[in-house]
Amino acid sequence: MPLDKFLQLLLSGISLGAIYALVALGFVLVFKATSVLNFAHGSFLMLAAYLTSTLLGSLGLPFAVGLLVVALSLAVLGVVLHYTVMQWMVGKAFFSVVLVTVGMEIVIRAVILVFWGPLERGRVQGLPQGTFSVGGAVIPYVNLIILAAAGILVLAFLVFFNRSRMGLHMRAVADNLEAATAMGIDRNVVYAGAWAIGLLLAGVGGVLYAHFSPSVNLGLGVIGLRAFPAAILGGIDSVPGAIVGGMIVALVENIGAGYLGAQWRDVIAFGIMFLVLLWRPSGLFGTKELIRV
Amino acid sequence: MTDSGLLVANLSVAYAGSVTALRGVSLRVPRGSIVTVLGANGAGKTTLVRAVTGLLFVHDGKIREGTITFNGKPIHTASATAVVKHGICQVPEGRMLFPRLTAEENLLCGAATRRRSPEIDLDLERVYQLFPVLGERRRQPAGLLSGGEQQMLAVGRALMARPRLLICDELSLGLAPMVVAELFRLLRQLNETEEMSILVIEQNARVALENSHYGYVLETGQMVVEGDSGTLRADPHVQELYLGGAGEAKAAYQALVRQYRNAIA
Repeated sequence: MPLDKFLQLLLSGISLGAIYALVALGFVLVFKATSVLNFAHGSFLMLAAYLTSTLLGSLGLPFAVGLLVVALSLAVLGVVLHYTVMQWMVGKAFFSVVLVTVGMEIVIRAVILVFWGPLERGRVQGLPQGTFSVGGAVIPYVNLIILAAAGILVLAFLVFFNRSRMGLHMRAVADNLEAATAMGIDRNVVYAGAWAIGLLLAGVGGVLYAHFSPSVNLGLGVIGLRAFPAAILGGIDSVPGAIVGGMIVALVENIGAGYLGAQWRDVIAFGIMFLVLLWRPSGLFGTKELIRV
Repeated sequence: MTDSGLLVANLSVAYAGSVTALRGVSLRVPRGSIVTVLGANGAGKTTLVRAVTGLLFVHDGKIREGTITFNGKPIHTASATAVVKHGICQVPEGRMLFPRLTAEENLLCGAATRRRSPEIDLDLERVYQLFPVLGERRRQPAGLLSGGEQQMLAVGRALMARPRLLICDELSLGLAPMVVAELFRLLRQLNETEEMSILVIEQNARVALENSHYGYVLETGQMVVEGDSGTLRADPHVQELYLGGAGEAKAAYQALVRQYRNAIA
């Protein structure tokens, strides 16, 4: 039944979209608060997926504990990265900073090779493995849990970003750095916080993706590259845009690849980004300057 | 000397590429007074503000010489955050609001260095009493407020830091005379009722001298004249250059400048 197949692709696309949304959100947050385009974002997701395969797969930690440990480790890594590396790049030329993140990506990949070796590892099975069917589509429980976990985290992030004091300071720095500094907001604290939360989101994305993907391997960093079309399509500086963009990219990609073949995944993801940008140059939700003089 | 106010002594500032913006500038804002610094565009007024508030680094500027103290504590090496914590907050030139944040969020950013407390909410209400229009528009993005409302918001935001010294950089710029008069009336009220010291950086000499106790004139990075605001208002040069008065006072003024230079040398 062709409709069954479509429903199947649609529903698994929604779970994938929830992961993309998380990853794109972290990417957008780091860009918004620190003006750094983080090309290493996907490798943090990959690192988290490898940690997951060790903690949940090999050591058999319960899902919730493993999730917490990986998420917090990545958050701490974000703070450390800011104070040891990125802090010194503040105010440097845009492309120098971008290249530093490219270098970071290479280092993380090397670290993974050293600790985990080049062989791929199986799908992590830290969640209930059964399935259920909806109107002819077979849905693994895993997909449902991924959707719920990602959804809760996105909501938690939105509350943090829009309601908390730290979130306010992040938005202030993103809006006008000099004014924020004049009000006594310490930009290093905000930057470190943005890196921590950006990596935390990538980390949770990695934990979930390790349960979703057929295997954990050195190709997972590509998921980070999916954050680009998702974030850019939504509007590179827009938080809701990242969420919607992640969902759109995942759905179109999943459904498209389901019919055309997996080799088209990346083409489709970047293809829709291209089309949206032709139509709306600053993305779906990207804001132009909102200033009245 | 714990409440000696702001003391700037022999301050020299240069920006990267060795443009000297301030040369040997000295200034005093005694506690509880309103002091104004007058000067044309490019005289170095905003550089002076940046030096006092720890913002030079944003523009690749550095203090080459001199000291700045506030109530006896040196602040010329302090971070911008530390300066605000010491009790100095500014209404920056060009207002520098957070255009996408709501009016209320802008005000809350003014309290960034304060401990979370119910007092912050009380201060918020106080700002809305001072500027009722901000209360009405508290949920609107600051970028959509009118020029006058934006300046009120910038003042309110600085007040949220509970400053003991408020620095207003070009408060009057681009505003209708009625709004300017209203803002200065408020500054005097804050000065009288709360003993808040105020440093007014202005191009609009008339309004600045009418609303201050003491004034300085900054020209190309150096202080050239200082005196009681009433005296300066009567000064022929200040009248000619800054108050639009009738001319022929050049020689008298140059004598005054020479006299001042000798006095501070």
